[in-house]
This record gives sequence, C-alpha cells and structure tokens, in this order.
Amino acid sequence: MKARVSTDWLSGCSGCHVAMVDLHEKLLGLVEEVDFVRVPVLMDEKDYPKADVGVVEGAVRSDHDRVALEKMRASVDKLIAFGSCAVYGGPSGLGWLHERDDVMAAVYDGGPTNAGGERPDADAPILEDSVVPIDEVVEVDAYLPGCPPHPYFIAAGLRAVLGVSDLQLTAMSVCADCDRKMLKNEGAELHRGEVTAEKDSLCFLSQGVVCLGSVSLNRCQAPCPHSGVACFGCAGPSVDLITEPHLDLRNLIGRRLNMLTGVSEEEVTRYFQEDAKTLYAYAVASPVIHGKPTVEIREWAGPKPAAQGGE
Amino acid sequence: MIEIAVDEKACVSCSLCAEICPTDVFVWDEDEGVPKINRPGECFGCLSCSEICPPHCITHEGVELAESHYHDPYALRLASRLAADVSGRFNVPSDEASQNQAAADLGVRLRSVAEVFKRTLGGSLPAVGTMAGRTLARHLPRYREPKGLDEALVLAKQQFSPAWEFETTRNGDDLTINVDRCFVRETCEREGQEIGSEMCVLFYNYLAGYLGRMGKVRLRLMDADRGAKCCYSVKIYEK
Repeated sequence: MKARVSTDWLSGCSGCHVAMVDLHEKLLGLVEEVDFVRVPVLMDEKDYPKADVGVVEGAVRSDHDRVALEKMRASVDKLIAFGSCAVYGGPSGLGWLHERDDVMAAVYDGGPTNAGGERPDADAPILEDSVVPIDEVVEVDAYLPGCPPHPYFIAAGLRAVLGVSDLQLTAMSVCADCDRKMLKNEGAELHRGEVTAEKDSLCFLSQGVVCLGSVSLNRCQAPCPHSGVACFGCAGPSVDLITEPHLDLRNLIGRRLNMLTGVSEEEVTRYFQEDAKTLYAYAVASPVIHGKPTVEIREWAGPKPAAQGGE
Repeated sequence: MIEIAVDEKACVSCSLCAEICPTDVFVWDEDEGVPKINRPGECFGCLSCSEICPPHCITHEGVELAESHYHDPYALRLASRLAADVSGRFNVPSDEASQNQAAADLGVRLRSVAEVFKRTLGGSLPAVGTMAGRTLARHLPRYREPKGLDEALVLAKQQFSPAWEFETTRNGDDLTINVDRCFVRETCEREGQEIGSEMCVLFYNYLAGYLGRMGKVRLRLMDADRGAKCCYSVKIYEK
C-alpha cells in the first residue's frame, strides 16, 4: 500500500511547496511510492485526512496557523518541519524582533504601498504576539530546513522518513558542495556589506567577503556560491553550532577569516553584531540562537531607539 | 586508537586542519590539495580539526567525549532529527550517579567562593548577590523576554529546574517563595554547613536580583523561614 502524505502551508511563501513540484520526473517516481492526500497548491482539500506523513511549511504567526498545525499533527503519524520557516522561523521569523503592534502599524498605518489606516477585519486571522517555529507548538519528527530545500534533499528526506531508503541526510555544511578553493590570502581586507567577490574560483572568505557557507547546513547543493553570490545561510545553522553552546556564526566565521586572511576576529564579530538582522536572518526566531550568548540579538538587530519616530 | 576519516570530495583545500592540529597528525598534500593522515597514533581526540573544518568533512571514531552536564535539550533534540549520526557528537550523561558527582564537584566550588566573599566583603554579601543576579539577567540565554514579574517567575522556574524547584504565591506587593528542592540546601547538607549560611545569603539575593531585573521591579527579601523546607517573604516595589 502506498504511504499517504499530507501537506500544509502556514506563514511561509509557498516556495517550499513549489520546490516539491520541482522534483520534476522524480515527483512521478514519488507519486508511485506515495499518495498525496492533501496539498494546498494542487488540490482543494480543506480537511485534514489521515496520513502517514505530514509536511508543514511556514512558521506559526497567526491563530489560524496554530489551529491548522494542531489539526495536521493530530491527523498524521510523522510530521516533517519543511523549510527554514517551519524549522527556525526563517524570513517569517524576523517579526520576532518586533512587537506585534509595531508590525501592524508598519504594514497598515504608514506603509508606502497602502492607503493607510484600514486594518484587516475580524474575519482575518489574528496575529499572535510573536512568531515561533512549529516545534514550539507541536512535536516534530524530522527537520528539513532550506529556503527552499533542494529537491534532492526533499526526496531523500521523504524517503528516509517513509523508511524506503537508507540514504542519510548528512551534517555537512554548504562548503561540502562548493567548488571554490579556500586558500590562504594574507592581507585581504574585510568587505562589509558585499556579497560578490572578484575571483570565481577562490572562496569568498579568502577574499574577505563574509560567506555563511561554512556555518550553514547543506540542504541546497551550494547554488549561490556557484553563481557568484556568497551564501547567506538560508538553511540555518550547521549542526556543530546547534549542539555546542559556545559556537556561534560570528566566532566561527571570525576564526576562519582570521586564519585565512589575518582580518581580526573582533572586526568580524563587530560586523556580525552591527548587521545581525541580515546575517542571522533565517534563524532569528529559533530557540537555538537564544541558547547561547547571541541572547542579545534583539538589541543588535531589533528596532533602534534613535531611529524610532524618524522613519 | 582513534580513527580519523576525511571526505576528500567535500574538502575545500583550506589546510586549516593541518594548521590547527596540536600534534601534527596531518601532512598537507600540495598536489591533491587535501590533508593526509600521517601520524594517526598522535591524535588525542581534541576535535579541533573537526571544529575548524569548513565543510565539516573530518570525522573521528573512538573518541571518548567528556560528559556534557551543561547542554540545551531542545538543541540536541533538533540536531538529532536534522541529520543522521549526530548523537555521536555529544555525551549527555543520563545516569543519576554521574549527575550527583558533578553536582558535588560544583558544590565544593560554590562553597569556597561563598566563603571567600564572606571573608572579604562581610556585610556587603547580600548586595553582591543581588548585583550578580542582575548581571545574570542580562546574559542568561533565553528565548522570550518576560513582560512582567509573573512571566519572569514562570520563566525562572523553567530555567532553574531541576537544581531549584520552587512555588510562588503573589498577593499584591507581597511575594512568597516556597522552595521544594534547593541545590544550595543539598550542598549545605553535603558539606556540613548550616542552612542559612553565606551560600544561602548569596544565592537568595542573587535570585531576587535576577527576578527583579527580569520582571522590571525591585525585590527585597523581608524574611526567611529556614527549616525542612525554606520559605522566603519578598516585598515587590514597582520601578
């Protein structure tokens, strides 16, 4: 009998669902192995039919998200947190840095793209106080981060959860799939705010450009560094950062940059704190980031008192 | 012997492993741009190479990991459901004997710190405890900012468990803290110290300083009823 798979989409962008369709011909192979009983982007199923595996995209931001997630959990045997929003809050999680009322005011009262003043009526889902990853609400059996996860890892992850394949998801970082060579380049300076570098075959860190590849889990096969753009860590922190309380994005990148180029670790650390909203963007709402000295991230990345009122 | 494996396909040729290894286990292969394991017997399992390795492609078998008494259960659960074979990276002791031994070791340090503070600071001991608690409140890792004292109390119960387990009742400006389990009490009993000694003074002022800063109020210890179970009366001053 085919395994039944049910999916849902909370506060996310649908990109993870689209990535599933990107399985292309592999999807056909998957359809032979599984029966999709609920997929919001493909079928009009409002209920939560019983299934073996539930796949949830998006973070929990509204009361609707919470109810939908609880119904999904109750209807499936195994639940996969699918994509960085479900696992860490992802881009949706950036709202964690702000108070709910400030978010509403920024969007509905003075935003450049709305007429101003009108708030959603009572029929719209109500925003909760903050944004949380789905495991703050329900038990999660497997995590598949990525923004979105690469189809290779989606197929591998689903097959592993369904028990049809021994293919294991490794703990390696994005560097493992990157073709650039990380060579010593003494004297290179730190390029703040830059995501591109001069040489195509040399690692970004060797060229003084902050690339998060070495501190990010590989669920993507490194498309950004191959296309000339430094990794921005969309699949969230690598496993060593999660398990070791003393490790963090800033000190690991600082140490590696220092050993490769001689840029001081303090300079890198300062840069990470000043640009925290960009550099920690994908996991800012996750307890993982708050179980270590990054606890001050709200001060680094949150609204600055001096900027209030002026904007 | 410790077995080291390098996934050469994932290696990015940074040579940081060879540079960081304190016992020169690796020799750098210039032609292939990968490390070769030259003196495997010299590896003592410090894992520096694994930690610095950008693609995380160096793994070790046979390393006896130190017991990790400080760990974040949420993070370990997440990591083990994120990738395969993650459980080999940490050693969380589950047996009670090992945890008790660690607590006893910590207790000795706590006692000596408290004694030194008492001798050098005398009557300032409560203030030192309060200040330490306020400092902790700023730096202790936490996921949510409490909105007031009530939320701060709920959070503190989670954070201090299982070393301290307590119940609180609040009546207006009066707060009562009933302590069910106390690490300091256990240390006093183990070390043959009187309940209510400098360790207790330091810790309970520390707790008051911590809760006050977290809950954005000022707390003052009014009375302590120490016995089979300790009970503290606290006055709350809104800032």
